[in-house]
Amino acid sequence: MKKVIVGNHAVSWGVSLARAEVIAAYPITPQTQIVEELAEMCADGRLAARFIKVESEHSAMAACIGAAAAGARAFTATSSQGLLLMHELLHWAGLGRLPIVMADINRAVAPGWNIWTDQNDTLAQRDTGWVQLYCENNQEVLDTTVQAFRLAETVSLPVMVVLDAFFLSHTSEPVDIPEPAAVDAFLPKREAALRLDPADPRAFGALATPAVYMEMRLRQQEAFDRVHDALESIDADWGRRFGRSWGAIETYRTDDADTVLVTSGTVTSTARHVVHERRARGEKVGLLKVKMFRPFPTRRLREALAGIPRVAVLDRNISPGHGGIFAEELRSALYDVADWLRPRVDGYVVGLGGRDVTPAVIEDCLDRTRAAAASNASREDLWVGVKP
Amino acid sequence: MPDPRPITDIAHGVPPIAVTSLSTRVNKTGSWKYIRPVYRDRVAPCNQGCPVGIDIEGYMNLVREGRVDEAVDLLLRENPLPATTGRVCFHPCENACNRATFDAAVAIHAVERMLGDRALERPAPAAPRTREETVGVVGSGPAGLACAYHLARLGYAVTVHEAAREPGGVLRWGIPEYRLPKAVLAGEIDRLRAMGVEFRCGAAVGADVPFEALARHDAVFIATGVHRSRPLGVPGEHLPGVIRGLDLLRAVNAGARPRLGRRVVVIGGGNTAMDCARTAVRLGAEVTVLYRRGRAEMPAHHEEVEAALHEGVRFGFLAAPLAVLGDERVPDEEPLDAIADTFGGFEGLPARPRVTALRCTRMRLGAADASGRRRPEPIPDSAFEVPCDAVVTALGEEADLDFLPEDVARDAGVLRVGPLGRTSRTAVFAGGDVTDEPHTVAYAIGSGKRAAIGIDQYLRLLAGEAAESVEIGELRLGPAGNVSVTRWRGDDPVTRVNPANEVVGPADLNLEHFARVPRIEDRMRPPWESRHDFGEANLGLAPSDALAEAKRCFNCGVCNGCEVCLVFCPDVAISRRADGRFDIAYDYCKGCGVCAEECPRGAMAMTREGL
Amino acid sequence: MSQITFKDVVPKAELLDSGHLACPGCGAALSMRMVLKALGEKTIVALPACCWSIIAGPYPQSSLHVPLFHTAFETGASAASGIKAALLQRGDTETTVVAWAGDGGTFDIGLQALSGAAERNEDILYVCYDNEAYMNTGIQRSSATPEGAWTTTTPAGHPESHPKKDILGILAAHRVPYAASATVAFPEDLVRKVARARATRGTRFLHLLAPCPPGWKTNDEETIDLARMAVRTRVFPLMEVEHGERWRFTVDHPGGSVEPYLRRQGRFRHLTDEQIARIQAQVDARWAMLERRVAMSPA
Repeated sequence: MKKVIVGNHAVSWGVSLARAEVIAAYPITPQTQIVEELAEMCADGRLAARFIKVESEHSAMAACIGAAAAGARAFTATSSQGLLLMHELLHWAGLGRLPIVMADINRAVAPGWNIWTDQNDTLAQRDTGWVQLYCENNQEVLDTTVQAFRLAETVSLPVMVVLDAFFLSHTSEPVDIPEPAAVDAFLPKREAALRLDPADPRAFGALATPAVYMEMRLRQQEAFDRVHDALESIDADWGRRFGRSWGAIETYRTDDADTVLVTSGTVTSTARHVVHERRARGEKVGLLKVKMFRPFPTRRLREALAGIPRVAVLDRNISPGHGGIFAEELRSALYDVADWLRPRVDGYVVGLGGRDVTPAVIEDCLDRTRAAAASNASREDLWVGVKP
Repeated sequence: MPDPRPITDIAHGVPPIAVTSLSTRVNKTGSWKYIRPVYRDRVAPCNQGCPVGIDIEGYMNLVREGRVDEAVDLLLRENPLPATTGRVCFHPCENACNRATFDAAVAIHAVERMLGDRALERPAPAAPRTREETVGVVGSGPAGLACAYHLARLGYAVTVHEAAREPGGVLRWGIPEYRLPKAVLAGEIDRLRAMGVEFRCGAAVGADVPFEALARHDAVFIATGVHRSRPLGVPGEHLPGVIRGLDLLRAVNAGARPRLGRRVVVIGGGNTAMDCARTAVRLGAEVTVLYRRGRAEMPAHHEEVEAALHEGVRFGFLAAPLAVLGDERVPDEEPLDAIADTFGGFEGLPARPRVTALRCTRMRLGAADASGRRRPEPIPDSAFEVPCDAVVTALGEEADLDFLPEDVARDAGVLRVGPLGRTSRTAVFAGGDVTDEPHTVAYAIGSGKRAAIGIDQYLRLLAGEAAESVEIGELRLGPAGNVSVTRWRGDDPVTRVNPANEVVGPADLNLEHFARVPRIEDRMRPPWESRHDFGEANLGLAPSDALAEAKRCFNCGVCNGCEVCLVFCPDVAISRRADGRFDIAYDYCKGCGVCAEECPRGAMAMTREGL
Repeated sequence: MSQITFKDVVPKAELLDSGHLACPGCGAALSMRMVLKALGEKTIVALPACCWSIIAGPYPQSSLHVPLFHTAFETGASAASGIKAALLQRGDTETTVVAWAGDGGTFDIGLQALSGAAERNEDILYVCYDNEAYMNTGIQRSSATPEGAWTTTTPAGHPESHPKKDILGILAAHRVPYAASATVAFPEDLVRKVARARATRGTRFLHLLAPCPPGWKTNDEETIDLARMAVRTRVFPLMEVEHGERWRFTVDHPGGSVEPYLRRQGRFRHLTDEQIARIQAQVDARWAMLERRVAMSPA
């Protein structure tokens, strides 16, 4: 069934189709519609889940952790400050290998209060052991939300589904909502191999000495290694059933490109438009959308970008004291590519705190990349559009 | 609970998460400790305090558990006359009772009496004849009866020689019936008969049976007691109406009810004096007891003094007799003369001397004498007279040792004996009042038991049996207690864990675990009623009340399975065995000491031994 | 019977194994042992950071015969809420979900989550075992540390200067169905309260006094006696409150001087007579307040 819905409701629909069992959430702009819609769905019986109206995001994640440990399919949603408050427990869910799914609305972090989109909140969690999937449009949001549960339960890792504040969360788009029965066939009920069960009493998370802790980390890392193939397979299955697959990355007209834009989130949509325009003018430009940030799709990125002369990474985030995070991680991923195949990577910090990333901004980045390549100047990431 | 199932998803030696599959029982935390708890059965102070030497704590525990017949058995192992002692003993056990420091001592005497009365309804303990030797016992008072009883239980054939026509000694002839009914005494003596003890009454050793005739026995026990009353030693003491207390008691116990007259003075401050006073009350007299020292110095049991007071006996302290005054005729009889002429042929009452008064002097307490008691001294010019019709003397008794050969050594008028009753003559033992035992039934019984052990030891050695020389201290219940024949026999029915012969004091207990419960007092017949007859004045406790009293017993020093240790162990290191005692898992015990600290009865100790 | 015995009121089955890592004489270990006995096997414990995080045993060992979920410091009540929701989703209404936290994880860092859960009347049993400081990290003060106590962050020259939070009052203000204080020295009272809590639906709270030999500077064997004394001198009254309004005392509190209780503990050894008198006055005043609460309770 097709509906025109905002991104937040796409999340709600995804959660409802996935038949989440325990939802614990705390309101924060601009996530609120997710939980409001879910509360309505629970209240009128469309969704048979327990909804815990917790008193903070920290408690929301703690409740999800408890619920998941007891074998339930657990979900929460948050943004910005709320996500930061959860930070301690994101590690707990990650190393605890609990298949929780969380939607985060990418929102800038305070101080000064800023409710508009940027990616610092989720990227600051990149070491917590969560799979991170960045969405470009509301259809992708719904599809990814449902896929996230299956992925999480397959590899026993928590999964974060990320969408831009307002540009997706509050923007209406047509979304094809699959039939519940079809989703049930795609995503069966969760059966936890190990859960809190009085019939099988064990302690979870006991003191782990240096003698064993590192191996548990290794097992987590190996689970992340399995995500690449698992997501591909799940995405392909979704594609067979519902006609849509999204990929861990997506390339658009990169085959013969001499300059590739690397983007994530809604900036990708704008970049598509720019690429389309430039191609029409004969420029060999392309676009690479990064959807899966954790695990970092190193192999796929190398394959896609090896031999491309110039890459312009648009980062709607900044790691203070270093640079744009996608750019840094990409440079690191490309380090081992053979010299003559390794692209020049220019990083552009754009759109922080919700500043609009217009086609003109993207074009500016493209032009700078091409000009810089010509002069072979090496420079730091460029902050685009800031007042001098 | 067995360990959980092992995890199957293992890689690099670990599950995906830190999930456990093993119990902490693999940690032998017992290695942490530097001190460890042990159960250590010790001795309750009542056991030590009892001159008979009874496992009082043991029978209290059995009564508490409802195992009353086993309690009777345990009691009869040591005390052959529990229905008697439960009535007449001055219960030093209660004075020693730790509960006295908490609310009130357990009424041990009442429980013993209840058990003793129950024992009268049950068959006698087994006394199979397992030895060839025979033993002769001279005297069937408490010492003789006790010795005979224990020897019979040790397997010997015993013959008791009793001068009087019925056995019992002071129990029959000395103690009045209102304290010890004849039927009770008869039942206790019948127990001995049922055990095969032979009684030959009506023949006195010495007068009727030569002492040397006793040589047919392999050993002899002398327990003839004391029968010679000390004389009054003042002018007038030979007047009719001056009666020796023992003679009065003997006559009344034989059924006589002599008329003593309206006013009777009893001289003396001991139990015999109280017996005489209360007997005189029952013979219809107004009684005054005169004692040369004060109330606090009276050796009589304070309960007897209380009872005498309640029965209307008056007491005069710090008074001593100077002379008994008499007269040919008493003024009361003058009226009879006046009417003698009216009744022809009535010649009046024959003149005979009779007591009219007792002249006394006031006394005061001076310096202490050798025994530590302050000597009473007459106050000069303080004489006064007490009008009376009879004077009963109860000034103490002495032994008559004339029937014994010279080689049975004596000391200050009594036979000299060793710790187990041996005299200076081979195969001759002695006990009770004829030795230097305090003159009470309980001490007499205790000495009879010791002599039985002494005789058993002597005869076994003689028979060439390898008898380890017994350290009498090991037989004693506590360092200062009397011996236990159960310890001598080595067949204690009570399981002792790591026993130590120390006595538990109040500081060893944890009184936090006890609630205050008032002591139940004996049911006494109202004195205005009981003073008129020789029926039992003290009815003891109803059986349910005796049971309640037994439940007040702290069970000092011996584990009674209350589980306080088990409940309070933070390390789950104490578990209950099938036999009701406890195991400590030293593999896990950390030596914190909570168990020993909380043990209500001091039955645990912390020790460095064994570490 | 004259002796107060527990063997007929304390359930026999053991749900705690030996070999756990508690210090000798640990009041918290005995608390868990007794509470689990009263709860039975159908129990899941959520355990935030506290002494018990260590006592339970290191991977791969557990000392409990029930599932145990170690969770972050602040999250006792919130994790327990999630566990309970999951159980209800699968139709399990029998298993008791317990949050087992120390005083730090309850009075301080865990208070928000506890308040949130209590306000929502989550169907969990929250047990705070109170050893009156952050003992696991080496005896630092918490808001449960009694006034006058030495801790490493309130040294003898400048001891704890605030009275203990009235945690039962706080829970009563949330009007939870059942909240109570108890301690291992009164096993019958403790077991009864746990059984009552188990049978109640909604948020139930138990505040247990758990003496700590190393933290209180007392001898290992004194643990039970200290708890007993704390109750008897009214330093730690044993009460229960229903729906925040019906209060009652559940044992006798004879009262008397708190000085012997204080003086036997090394953590109070520095107290002057004036300070002890002040503490006595506070105990007396608080007792009077508690008596008013009880008196004003509806029938």
